[in-house]
Amino acid sequence: MAVMKKSYLFGGEKRWRNLAPIYFLLPGVLFYFIIALGPSIATSIYSLTDASGLRGADVNWIGFDNYDEFLFQGLASRDNIDATLRTLRFCAIVTLVQFSIGLILALLVNQKLRGRTFFRTLFFMPVILGVVIQGLMWKLFLQPRGGPMATIFGWFGAQSEFLGGQPDEAFMWVIVVQIWANVGITMVIFLAGMQTISSDLYEAAKIDGASGWQLFRDVTWPQLTPAVNTNFLLNIIGSLQAWQLFLVLTGYKAGTQVLGYLVFAEGFGQTGEAPSFRQGFAAAASMVLFFLVLVIGFFANRFVTWRERKFL
Amino acid sequence: MKGKLGPFWVLAVVLALVLAACGGDDDGGDDSGDNGTTETTEAASGGDDGGEDGGEAGEEVSLRVLVHQNPPLTDYMTDFNAQFEADNPGVTIDMEIVAPGGDYATAVNARLAAADVDVIDYCIDPCAGFSTPVEDYMGDNVEAPAWQQLIQAGLVMDITDEPFVQNFDEASIQDAATFEDSVYAINMGRVSYSGMFVNNDLLAEVGVDLPTTWDELVAACDTINATGNFCMTQGGADGWPIFVGAYGLLGAAFPDQAALAEGLWTGDIKWNEGEGLALMEKFQIYAQDMLEPGVTGLGHNEATARYAAGDVAFLPTGVWQAPVLEESEPGFDWTYVPFPGSDNAEDNQYLFGKYDMSWMIASDTPHPDIAKAYLAGLADPDNYQTFVDATGYLPTQPTATLNSKLGEAVAPLLENYRVGFEQYYISPTGAGQWANGSQAASWFDPFNEWTDAGELADQVQADLEAGLGG
Repeated sequence: MAVMKKSYLFGGEKRWRNLAPIYFLLPGVLFYFIIALGPSIATSIYSLTDASGLRGADVNWIGFDNYDEFLFQGLASRDNIDATLRTLRFCAIVTLVQFSIGLILALLVNQKLRGRTFFRTLFFMPVILGVVIQGLMWKLFLQPRGGPMATIFGWFGAQSEFLGGQPDEAFMWVIVVQIWANVGITMVIFLAGMQTISSDLYEAAKIDGASGWQLFRDVTWPQLTPAVNTNFLLNIIGSLQAWQLFLVLTGYKAGTQVLGYLVFAEGFGQTGEAPSFRQGFAAAASMVLFFLVLVIGFFANRFVTWRERKFL
Repeated sequence: MKGKLGPFWVLAVVLALVLAACGGDDDGGDDSGDNGTTETTEAASGGDDGGEDGGEAGEEVSLRVLVHQNPPLTDYMTDFNAQFEADNPGVTIDMEIVAPGGDYATAVNARLAAADVDVIDYCIDPCAGFSTPVEDYMGDNVEAPAWQQLIQAGLVMDITDEPFVQNFDEASIQDAATFEDSVYAINMGRVSYSGMFVNNDLLAEVGVDLPTTWDELVAACDTINATGNFCMTQGGADGWPIFVGAYGLLGAAFPDQAALAEGLWTGDIKWNEGEGLALMEKFQIYAQDMLEPGVTGLGHNEATARYAAGDVAFLPTGVWQAPVLEESEPGFDWTYVPFPGSDNAEDNQYLFGKYDMSWMIASDTPHPDIAKAYLAGLADPDNYQTFVDATGYLPTQPTATLNSKLGEAVAPLLENYRVGFEQYYISPTGAGQWANGSQAASWFDPFNEWTDAGELADQVQADLEAGLGG
């Protein structure tokens, strides 16, 4: 036993008991520093430089010039602010619609109906596809030359270029694809929440003569609070950061950019004619996005905390 | 107190170990394992200083080559690589093909940053060789183009003194491969993008003569569309073919495109006045009346295959699509003519274009002699002639000739070849997204939101002036 005690790292058994949790946490903390926090801090520093991201290139400290350019310089600032507002619009629509459809789907597949396992799988299936696959599938579906949606439009004498056409329409289709691709996760979280609700509550309410709507309003909805809050936050943060579908579906098309895509395009020379590598500027844009997520996430978190206090 | 610092010492030691493990070997030359290759002497014998590559005889070398996707080009490169490997025992070419456009810029950046490439086909948008660097008239309000950034970062090898550079004509060396009196690349070909392929049989069938003026082209399109055929098609799914297809209109309006770029910067030329405004109106007719519906469902190569079906009269695009068209074996007689953008036929005799891909060597390649031998192979006159025959590029070597059907069509026009606008133009920092009016053809409905040429012209000029400080 004495031998065992000597083998404890940095001291005796009591000390080991006190410090063991810290030792076990160290790898995780280290991993977090290297993978998440480190790059985040580096990005904030990068945003104050003119870094191109090219190995060997000069990096100069330019203070807040990138922020000044992003927010105030010329009409490029108009495009940047438009992209920011478009990001917020995307977030609001996706969050609201995905949340609602996910809830409805969860309610449906939570019923004791034939084939519900099939439908659960069907609705969740898009989630397991990668963004590129999701995008390519919808590009085929929205192919303006004889694609399925073009055929349906044709039945009504309508015609569209879909993703290659009007920016507002292209933007709307990206929203559709984003919701289709992610509603399965929302549904599953709601479904898991519904299955934790005790059947006794429903039986008691039914005995009291509660209608279907009353069952939902007074039993299901309050009891779903943890799932509602989780979905609410996940949908907001996920949609604020989404940009890959824009890359696959529309490319860097005027009038459709969101902030996440703007960061990528500026950083990697994808902005069109005579592009430059501007990772310092891209870092500034990503800090704007971070601030947006932070503020909205803060208020969303306050809201869900209030809901939890109210219902639970 | 000292004992309480235990966990922090552990953290510090682990951090130090991890950071040490993450640290790269910047010299890139000694540790062959870092580069996924071993070394050779065989191929290096082709270089002037074969000793640089080091290593022992008989070992394997993998030369990492990055090339943009272009079927005739990549087919040629596959054959060339096989021949190079046969001529250089022990050398393997590891060629990665990446789609042009944004993906290619990302690949170039990432591979150079990781010291993971030896030879690069520089084809970052607009894939125009070394397009204009920052000129004096631009002042400080501009970002250097990507190729200039790469050179200034020291990532590209100076090949000024390599003998194979002299295989190319002086104009291509100066315009497409030189920066501050040093040569960093070999440019493999010019292209013309301001012309259009013509379906002669369809014109004869509908009783229309080959249009030589803008008015004749408008009338021809009306006639062709009335017969149930289509005037023009385009690869709109890729975005850029829509405005590149209208570069003939730009050329007819502004024959001196270097002067156009400078004039826009100095304020002497405006998009919403005179020729600029007239150009916007023609762009609108091209986008809305001449292109067939649904072109955004066609990629660039798909549009050429679609054109080969025979019921479209014109395909306004670059000469680089000639091999694709020939491979599609269209059942009609075709030719390539300048886009008749002016009402004066005399103005429609020019072909505008650009230098296309430039091949360069990563400055820190562990195999400099093999990389130079690779470029020397590409520059070899016999190989270069095969390259031109395969790809249809307008030659940049004085001894090469364009022997294809396309060559027959454009040979009389090459005296009137001019470098085009995108080779000269950079937008000022702060300019809005509509500032580059040369791309305005792709901003009209149904491809974007604009329906009035005058309003768009005003917006283009406003977006430009916002960057110029006007």
